[in-house]
Amino acid sequence: MEPPVIALENVTVTYRSGFLGGTAFDALRGVSLNVSAGETVGLVGESGSGKTTLGRVCLGLLHPTAGRMHFAGTPFGGLRQRRGQLSVVLQHPEWALNPRLRCGRSVDEPLILTGVPAAARRKRVAEILEQVGLDPSFAARLPGQLSGGQRQRVAIARALVTRPRFIVFDEAVSALDVSVQAQVLNLIRDLQERHDFGALFISHDIAATRYVSHRIAVMLKGEIVEDGPAGKFYASPEHPYSRALLAAV
Amino acid sequence: MTAPLVDIADLVIGYDTGMRQVRALDGASLRIDEDETLAIVGESGSGKTTLGMAAGRLLPPEAKVIGGSIHVAGVDVTRADDEALRRLRHDKLGFVFQNPTTALDPTLRIGRQVALAMGGRPPPEAIAELLSRAELNESERILRAFPHELSGGMAQRVVIAMAIARRPHLLIADEPTASLDASIREKVMSTLGRLRAESGASLVILSHDLRMVARHADRVAVMYGGRIVELGSVTRVMQAPAHPYTRALLTAAAGNERPGERLCPIPGTPPILESRCEACAYADRCAFRETRCDTERPEARPFLGREVVCHRAEAVIGAPTQARQEDR
Repeated sequence: MEPPVIALENVTVTYRSGFLGGTAFDALRGVSLNVSAGETVGLVGESGSGKTTLGRVCLGLLHPTAGRMHFAGTPFGGLRQRRGQLSVVLQHPEWALNPRLRCGRSVDEPLILTGVPAAARRKRVAEILEQVGLDPSFAARLPGQLSGGQRQRVAIARALVTRPRFIVFDEAVSALDVSVQAQVLNLIRDLQERHDFGALFISHDIAATRYVSHRIAVMLKGEIVEDGPAGKFYASPEHPYSRALLAAV
Repeated sequence: MTAPLVDIADLVIGYDTGMRQVRALDGASLRIDEDETLAIVGESGSGKTTLGMAAGRLLPPEAKVIGGSIHVAGVDVTRADDEALRRLRHDKLGFVFQNPTTALDPTLRIGRQVALAMGGRPPPEAIAELLSRAELNESERILRAFPHELSGGMAQRVVIAMAIARRPHLLIADEPTASLDASIREKVMSTLGRLRAESGASLVILSHDLRMVARHADRVAVMYGGRIVELGSVTRVMQAPAHPYTRALLTAAAGNERPGERLCPIPGTPPILESRCEACAYADRCAFRETRCDTERPEARPFLGREVVCHRAEAVIGAPTQARQEDR
């Protein structure tokens, strides 16, 4: 069997404030989580529960204080070594895209960094824009000329352009309107079927999360208190906190 | 019959954007009674915030009232002079905004801000009492705190306490829980609902969250293209929508689907109007469109215990719920 794309084992992250003897705070405590290729794991919990910290650890932006982390069966290593294999889509597409770069160029940048030749880049950018449902003419537009949903599509196109094996969606649909939210959620599902990436979908909206995810992990105060198939979150999750979240749907 | 608390008739508001004028409201009419909770729902750009803010004439200077009228508690808001308007805002209206951390003054301690909202020189006990009505305990600490020292939920409760301080007749809450965590949204909404019921004021919730609205409002007004396209009791409208837009919003929202079902997003984007819309503004995105929809502006008409702005309401309400694709 293929090893999971991301495997976390007993990961703890401690934030310290102040010099020697200052206060320490565990943002994550003994978290174990696997994400396989072609699988979306939803991560829900209130703010301050450690969702974003866990996302940053998975992306290699934050080193765990304790615990082990594997990427596709090998130790994670340096970020440089993982170039083009990891990606992220953030909550506010208007901040995630450089307002002075045309969208085509924004999508192109990860390819430039990984050293893809120009002709192949052009073809790849046109291809990915089409896959996220944007006309190739969007490549010449500035982010300010797009609607919120279109901007988020550009951000997703940029995240996918290097064919990453793992993507973190951090509150990727929270800022969008209901009808646009449904378009983007469907897009994520369709693209995953095609590209087979593993994904971590971080959100405080359990309704959207269970729709897009295969499995859901519920976080409370730095620990995963429940981890189960998404179907369970339509019926009766076990942990009282998960039930409280569900009651608000 | 007494006059309604708020009477908005055929209101048209445009924003000057330099080159052209964009219409945010295109003939919106709405009456709000005493002692009720009304929700106004719609996508961004539907005009819901413009409508809510117009009730207190709290619109930016580039917004121009082109036609129609607004009466709030007997005051003609579009024509009132500054003094009458000041008295209306001070005594009759309360506003709760989306983001509590920007609604509070960052340089003043909470106690001082709440005292300003109450007017005069309230004794500390009165301030503490007001905060506890908004379900804020440890008032000692909160009174001395600055806004940045409070959590989002606490700050929003402070804003709510300030909004009800003068016992307003009308509370307008613009996305009151959008910037809060899912787990405390429900609690903040029930605080707001309880305070409304205690004071007998009317509450207007502006939101795009249909599920939240369904739990907390008596009546719902669905806005699209600057008009109210469907208005009726929450149970009626949510269970059997008569406007295709309401119906599409309900099917697009995650939360009502069964496992394995696929959501149906609404195709296209909301219109940007530059002048009065002489057709149905929703026609381009509508599954029930016919030729009449492109040539004739639909007018509000009573239909099965609600008001609806659609030529095809009979067909919409009779249509079976679309079978969604099974794909997972």
